[in-house]
Amino acid sequence: MTRLGFDPDELAACVGCGLCLPHCPTYRVTGLESASPRGRITAMRVVEEGMPLDDAFSTVIDECILCRGCEAACPSGVQYGHLAEAARERVARRRPPMRRLVEWVAFVAVLPRHSVLLACTWLLLVAQRLHLVPARLGLPRLSPRSLRTPIVPDGDPTAYLFTGCVMDAWQRDVHRAAVHVMRSCGAQVGLPTAGGDCCGALHAHAGRVGEARRLARRVMASMPGDAPIVVDSAGCGAAMKDYGRLLGGPAAAAFSARVQDFAEWVAARGAPPLRDTGITVVVQDPCHLRHVQHAEGSVRTILHDAYRLVETDDDGMCCGAGGAYAVTERDLATRVRDCKVAAIRAAAGAMPFLVASANPGCAMHLDAAGLDVRHPAELLAAALDDPKGAM
Amino acid sequence: MCFPESIEEISAAVGIACRHRVPFVARGSGTGLAGGATPVGDPLVIVTTRMNRILEIDAADRVAWVEPGVCNLDLSRSARHLGLHYAPDPSSQQACSIGGNVGTNAGGPHCLRDGVTSAHVLAVDVVLADGVITRLGGLAPDTPGYDLRGCFVGSEGTMGIAGRIAVRLLPDPPAVRTLLLDFASVAAAAATVSGIIAAGIVPAALEMMDAPITRLVEDFVGAGYPRDAEAVLLVEVSGLPEGVAAEVSGIGQVGRDHGARHVRVAADDAERELLWKGRKSAFGAIARIAPDYYLHDAVVPRTRLVEVLARVREIAAAQDLLVMNVFHAGDGNLHPLLVFDAREPGIWERVHAAGNGIVRACVEAGGVLSGEHGIGLEKRDLMPLVFDPDDLDAQARLRDAFDPSGLANPEKVLPRGSRCGEATRAPEGTWV
Repeated sequence: MTRLGFDPDELAACVGCGLCLPHCPTYRVTGLESASPRGRITAMRVVEEGMPLDDAFSTVIDECILCRGCEAACPSGVQYGHLAEAARERVARRRPPMRRLVEWVAFVAVLPRHSVLLACTWLLLVAQRLHLVPARLGLPRLSPRSLRTPIVPDGDPTAYLFTGCVMDAWQRDVHRAAVHVMRSCGAQVGLPTAGGDCCGALHAHAGRVGEARRLARRVMASMPGDAPIVVDSAGCGAAMKDYGRLLGGPAAAAFSARVQDFAEWVAARGAPPLRDTGITVVVQDPCHLRHVQHAEGSVRTILHDAYRLVETDDDGMCCGAGGAYAVTERDLATRVRDCKVAAIRAAAGAMPFLVASANPGCAMHLDAAGLDVRHPAELLAAALDDPKGAM
Repeated sequence: MCFPESIEEISAAVGIACRHRVPFVARGSGTGLAGGATPVGDPLVIVTTRMNRILEIDAADRVAWVEPGVCNLDLSRSARHLGLHYAPDPSSQQACSIGGNVGTNAGGPHCLRDGVTSAHVLAVDVVLADGVITRLGGLAPDTPGYDLRGCFVGSEGTMGIAGRIAVRLLPDPPAVRTLLLDFASVAAAAATVSGIIAAGIVPAALEMMDAPITRLVEDFVGAGYPRDAEAVLLVEVSGLPEGVAAEVSGIGQVGRDHGARHVRVAADDAERELLWKGRKSAFGAIARIAPDYYLHDAVVPRTRLVEVLARVREIAAAQDLLVMNVFHAGDGNLHPLLVFDAREPGIWERVHAAGNGIVRACVEAGGVLSGEHGIGLEKRDLMPLVFDPDDLDAQARLRDAFDPSGLANPEKVLPRGSRCGEATRAPEGTWV
């Protein structure tokens, strides 16, 4: 094992060709080698060779959004995500005490305990009504009715919908739309039982791999059987498809094989009858849907009968949300988002438009920039021949 | 290190370096393969990545003014809606900068017919080594006086730094066809290359891959490259549909005359793109065999390809190294790849010995040191293989005319002792 805790062969695989550079959102906006995948790998190498693991190294690693756009571009097949997550785990151990306290509250006290998260969300709702939550944070308008009304699962599920942590608290209406569409497709929709509070994706990104593993085991136990597990958050879906590697062993691999993004599941079954809405939709590909799950095609498949789909010309560049990144690295996240917003507006031209995003983090981040963002499940539900009960 | 955002800022940085007698080196995306942008000693590194604006595209005149940090492929993408593109397409085109392309006079598969970078640069606003900004070349078809623009393109930062570049854009061809020919011997493939050119056909691109790299690429892309071929040719023709059709049949005929086992014409754009994806992923796919490779760049006359390729294999075998060949056959530009694992003790000596041997073999066959990557640091000390002392002295004096201070990217391109009477290097800080 190396100093940063990864396979030396994975680090050796980078030949430094630089083909990743244009696909890296932080390199695009800064022009800095140290903000590029190649630069970060170089930094990892010099730390492996004995350079101190100092603040400069922490910055280099923390500035990465973990979009993994570089992996798709890399002809050498460097597993950059593995390298970056391992480096971040090492960097996370040397945070200042205040930040560690805040992270502990978020990652240990709140996210894995859904009742605590919901209680916090009620407080947040009050704060939002008192205009104490700045709009630039992108928090969706929280609805007391939605928070009070749980989704009622069907008995004997033929498919699960994984509801997760923040998304269920802040964007439960997306889940409602997803359940509605799944039922229209003839599924009996189950929900995770106790313990399926949080998939651990944010933990893995923040370098808290041990906690991510604990949460993963709980999530696996919360959805027994062999029914497919439908996930309407691209970040969660990517993490859950990776449980096989995270935990190792046949049970985790079998669980990961059941996981499908919402769009993949609908596309495989065939979308229910839709009416043509004539509305222009710019498709935004969440990085973990496109670069990790490779499921961006399904989003287009399920929406193209009902909407006029428009593509951006930026090769699926990251929007800068990156889970908690928009909070921890606000300046860079905003500059990356500015590029994305410009690409989206250019794609739509003069037409009024909606943006489709299959990831709650991206949706909030782009919403805060003034775009009207909808989840594909919401778009589909609104275009059903019988949209009753969609919301 | 500094990150200028305009030509004026480059000029200011160079001016300061000049006053303090600090050498300076320009750097683009860092994709160069000859070490032209590698800092030697402790110079000021002037990074152009933040100068990535396309300043103007004149669709009627087919000219674009760009800043040096603009990515090659971004320029073509920006002109696509006008039906125009920038022709030189190095394999690193998605990452490399136009400024770097100007510095190395970069090539690419499609430079066979359209010419390398120099043929597409009309004018350059250059920051000279004392910080003065001057324009070389111009938009007129022929600018009066000496072609200083032509002199600057390929000067690898030793004559100043490009701060604004005017490039020619070409119209997208109405028809494009791509052919794959496979052969039972390298000799037959090489003879076909010469045969095609001799038949008066200049394809847009004419690439060769040998057996090991073809199998590797096929494992990676699954484009239907024949695994049992000793060599394959990837040929692209473009232009008006009737001319393209005639060239496709002409190339097929030449191939069959020279023993091609199959001539496959890509049926549609998807198949074309898959074939090209294989060619352009070739270097990266090598990571499947070993983590490191040393890519060489030399040019030989087309007619000598067969014997040089055989010689390259012998040289690599003598050092117990695996060599693969994927290259621009149409202009005889070889790219032998030596594949190895740098963690193996003593491997670098063998790789360098083999590399040196390959370059010497190419020169002995009437070739030159570099086709498109430049001289940089890598081939600097091999320059005397192709130039005698008088040639080197003349080049050194040309360089001095642009940069009397010797501060612009020193230690690159010309070996020490190039100037007549310059036996050893002068002490630091003295005027030469």
